[in-house]
Amino acid sequence: MEEHVGQVWDRFITKIANQGYPEAAVTLDQVKTPLGVFYRALGGDSALRITATTATLHKARRSWLHKVAGTGKKVELAWQDEICLYLPAQLDLFPDAQLNRDLYFWLAAMAGTPVPAQTHRNLNWIVDNQQRTSKTLQKYRGLHQRYQRLVRAFIALRPDPVKLKPEIAAQEQAIQQALIDPGSITELPEARFAPEPVPLWLHPNPPHNGGLSSSNETKDRNASKGETRQAEQRRRQAERVDKPDEQGANLGVRHEADLFSFAEFCKMDRSTEEEDDLDQAEGIANDIDKMSVTQDNTTVASRIKFDLDLPSEEEDDIPLNEGILYPEWDYKKNIMLRDYCQIIPMMSRKAVDCELPVHLQKPARRLRRQFESLAARPQWIRGQYEGDKLDLDAYLDFRGSASSNGSANSGDPRLYYQKRPLVRDMACLLLADLSLSTDAWVNDKQQVVDVIRDSVHLFAESLHASGDQFAIHGFSSRRRQHVRFNCIKDFHESYNAKIRGRIADISPGFYTRMGAAIRHATDLLGKQSAQKKLLLLLTDGKPNDLDRYEGRHGVEDTRKAILEARNQGLIPFCITIDEEANQYLPYLFGRQGYTFIRQAEQLPKRLPQLYMTLTGKLLGS
Amino acid sequence: MSTVSQLSQTEELPFYEPQGDEVELFMHAYEHKLPVLIKGPTGCGKTRFISYMADKLGLPLYTVACHDDLSASDLVGRHLIGDGATVWSDGPLTRAVREGGICYLDEVVEARKDTTVVIHPLTDDRRILPIDRTGETLHAPDNFMLVVSYNPGYQNLLKGMKPSTRQRFLSMSFDYLLPEAEVEVLLNETSIEKAMAERLVVLANTLRELKDQDLEEGASTRLLVYTATLISTGFDPVKACRAGMIEPLSDDPDTVIGLMELVQAAFGSSEQE
Repeated sequence: MEEHVGQVWDRFITKIANQGYPEAAVTLDQVKTPLGVFYRALGGDSALRITATTATLHKARRSWLHKVAGTGKKVELAWQDEICLYLPAQLDLFPDAQLNRDLYFWLAAMAGTPVPAQTHRNLNWIVDNQQRTSKTLQKYRGLHQRYQRLVRAFIALRPDPVKLKPEIAAQEQAIQQALIDPGSITELPEARFAPEPVPLWLHPNPPHNGGLSSSNETKDRNASKGETRQAEQRRRQAERVDKPDEQGANLGVRHEADLFSFAEFCKMDRSTEEEDDLDQAEGIANDIDKMSVTQDNTTVASRIKFDLDLPSEEEDDIPLNEGILYPEWDYKKNIMLRDYCQIIPMMSRKAVDCELPVHLQKPARRLRRQFESLAARPQWIRGQYEGDKLDLDAYLDFRGSASSNGSANSGDPRLYYQKRPLVRDMACLLLADLSLSTDAWVNDKQQVVDVIRDSVHLFAESLHASGDQFAIHGFSSRRRQHVRFNCIKDFHESYNAKIRGRIADISPGFYTRMGAAIRHATDLLGKQSAQKKLLLLLTDGKPNDLDRYEGRHGVEDTRKAILEARNQGLIPFCITIDEEANQYLPYLFGRQGYTFIRQAEQLPKRLPQLYMTLTGKLLGS
Repeated sequence: MSTVSQLSQTEELPFYEPQGDEVELFMHAYEHKLPVLIKGPTGCGKTRFISYMADKLGLPLYTVACHDDLSASDLVGRHLIGDGATVWSDGPLTRAVREGGICYLDEVVEARKDTTVVIHPLTDDRRILPIDRTGETLHAPDNFMLVVSYNPGYQNLLKGMKPSTRQRFLSMSFDYLLPEAEVEVLLNETSIEKAMAERLVVLANTLRELKDQDLEEGASTRLLVYTATLISTGFDPVKACRAGMIEPLSDDPDTVIGLMELVQAAFGSSEQE
C-alpha cells in the first residue's frame, strides 16, 4: 500500500513539476531522417549519426516543486562530437508542436553550420552560442523568422528578471539579451547558481568522450547475446577513467558537486548479466551521470568477449595459404596504412557433401525455374541468313543497294531476324558477413546465421540455374592480423554437393572487419573477365572489430574500400538486415547502393529476386 | 532525336559563361581536326557550350541525343521506301560528314555498342566514314568535328565507356560553375534579382554537397535557371524551389522534407505569420 501511494504521489508531483507540454511533444524518431538530410545539407559532417542524448546535470536553481518531486536536476541539451550529433529524444518545451519541431531543426542548423575551428573549445558558452547563432542566421536568412518565433516563445517561458534576486536577475537578463540580439553579450555575469539551461543553445560543457563509441559496442554485445534492446538507445556519459592503481586509491565512489547525484565506478561484467538484471542496470545507468569504463592495455571489448579465442589448429578450418596483406584507411591521418591487415583464406574442414535441406527444396525448385528462364531468355538477332521473321531494315537495304547498283541481288541476303538465347556476361561475388552478431536470434526458431545459410543456399541454387558466373565467400575477423575469408564457392568451382556441404557448415565467427574483406573480394572479382561484375555484401550490422576498428574508423575504411571497388569497375551493392542501416549505409554505398530487408526471415527468398532485378537493371534488359 | 541548328549570322551568340580554358582548347582542337570528349554532371552547360562554339566557329551543329536503342544506322542513315523504290537517307552523322559541321553525340554511352564501329574510323587520322550499305566511303572535310559527351556520374552503375573509345578523344571535364559565374548565368538567362540569384546559387551548392549520400545528383545549373525563371515572374520562392530544385532531385519523402527545411531556412517561410 505504502508503495502504491508512493507511486501515485511520484507520478502526481512529477507531473505538476514538469514544465513541458507532453501533448505537444515531438520525438526525435519522428523527425530523424529529414533532420539528417537538413543537417548534412547545412554543412554538418556527413559521417555523423544522429542519436538521442542523455539528460545531463545542470547546476541551476531548481523550483521548490522540482525539489519536492526530485526532478529538474537534469536537462537534455544538444551537442555533437566526432561520432554523433546528440539531440534530445523528445522535445516538449513549447505548447505548440510546430515550435518544438522548429526547435529540432534550429538545433541541427546550429550544430551543422560550420564555425571557425577552435572557437567552441576556448570561448565560453554564452559567447560561443551567440556566435553560432549569428553565423547561422547570417547564412540562412530564412531562419530569422523562425528563430524570432522560437525566442519569443522561449522568453515567455523564462523567469521574469524583475521577480528574481539581483545577481540571478542580471544573469537572466544577459541571457535573454543574448537570445534576442545575438552577439551583444560578451560575458555572463557571475552568480551563485549556474543559469537556467537554454535549450535553444548547444550544451555548455558537452561530456567528453575519448573517441570510444560505447553505444555501438553495447548494442553489438547485446545483439551477440541474442537480445536486441532497442529501447535503450540513450547514450551514457561514458567517460574513460584511468584504472585505479592496485595499491592506490581504490575508492569506489566519487562525490560530485551536487549531492543529489553520484558518479560511480562500476565494474560490471555486463556479459554475464541476466535479462532482468539488464533492466535494472538500465535503470541504474539512467541515474548515474557518468558511467565510467576503465581502459587498460586490453580493450574493453576484448575483456568482455572472453570466449572468443580462436579454435585450436586441429579444429579450425584449413588455411589455404599464408595470408594476403591489405592496406587499411586511417581517416584521422588521411593515409593508407600499408600491409595493415592480413586476409587468411580458409576452407571448411568439417564440411561433408550434402543435399539441399528439405525445407528449402520447394522454394529452390521455383527459383530454379525462374532463373532458368532468365538464362534462356531469347533475343532477336537481326541480319541473319535465315530466321523466324523478316528484317525489314535489312530487306530495304538489300533492295536499295540492288537497285542503285543496277544489278539484282548483289548485296548480302541476310534478311531475317533470328531468335537466340541471350548470353548474360555477368560475374557475381557474394560476400557474407559471418561475424558473431549473426549468432543473434531472428525469431523463436531461427538465428541470423541460419537465415544467412538458407539465403546462401537459395542464392547458389538460383545462380547455378541462371548460368552466371558466381562465387560465394564469408568473412569474419579477429583484429587486423586475422581476417578470415571462408571460401564457400570459388569462381572456377562448379556447384555441387560439396559446395552445399560447405554452405551447410557456415557458422558465426568473430568480428566484422569489412574493409579488408571487401578489398580481397574486389581482387578476386576483378580478375574475372565478365562485362558486369557485381559485388554483393550480405550483412547484419556495421563494421567493427576488437581494436579501433569500430565507429567512425571502421565506417571510413569500409567506405574507402567500396570506392576502390567502384573505381575498378565493380558494382558494389549491400543487403542488410540491420534496422539502423539508414544511419550509415548511405554514406558507404550511396542511397541507391543498398537494400534493407526489414524481416530477416524473408531474406532467403528476397535475395535471389534482388539479384534478378539488380542484374536486369545492370544488363539493361 | 537529332536536331540541326544553324543560326544566321545576324543573330547574337548564345550566352555562355566560360569555366576555364575550354573555349581556347576547343578552338585548337577544331583547328587540328581532333575529336573532343566532354564529361560532366547533368545540366552543367555541356550542350550550351557546344552550341556556343558552333556559333562562334560558324558551323552547323548536328545534335544527337543518344538513347539505349540508338544504333549505327540511326547515325549513318538507312534505306527508306520511296515512290516505288527505296531511297537512301543520310543520318545526322553522315550529313555532318558530307556537309561539314559539328556532330555532337550527347550522352554517347547510352547508345548501342555498334555505334562505336562508325565512330572509331572518324576519330583517328583517317577521318573517314565507311557506309557499307551504300558502299561509299566518305572523307570528312576540314570543317567536320566530332564531339561526344557523357556523364561520368552514371557510368559505374549502368554503362561504361570503353577505354579504347575514350582514348580517341581530347577530353575536357566540366563541373558546376563557380558561384559568382553561376549568378551571372542566372542574371543573363532570367530577369531575377541579383540578391535572389545569389541565394539560389548558395542553395544549389549546398544541395550538390549531398551528392552520393542523400541525393543521386546535385542540382544542375539548368534546374537553377528553371527555378529562377519561376521566381522572376513572381512565383513564391519556396514553392519555386520545391518544384524546380527539390522534387526533381529526390523521390524519398523524408529527404524532400529535410531539403524543404533547408529551403525554408534559406528563403524564409512561405506561410505568413
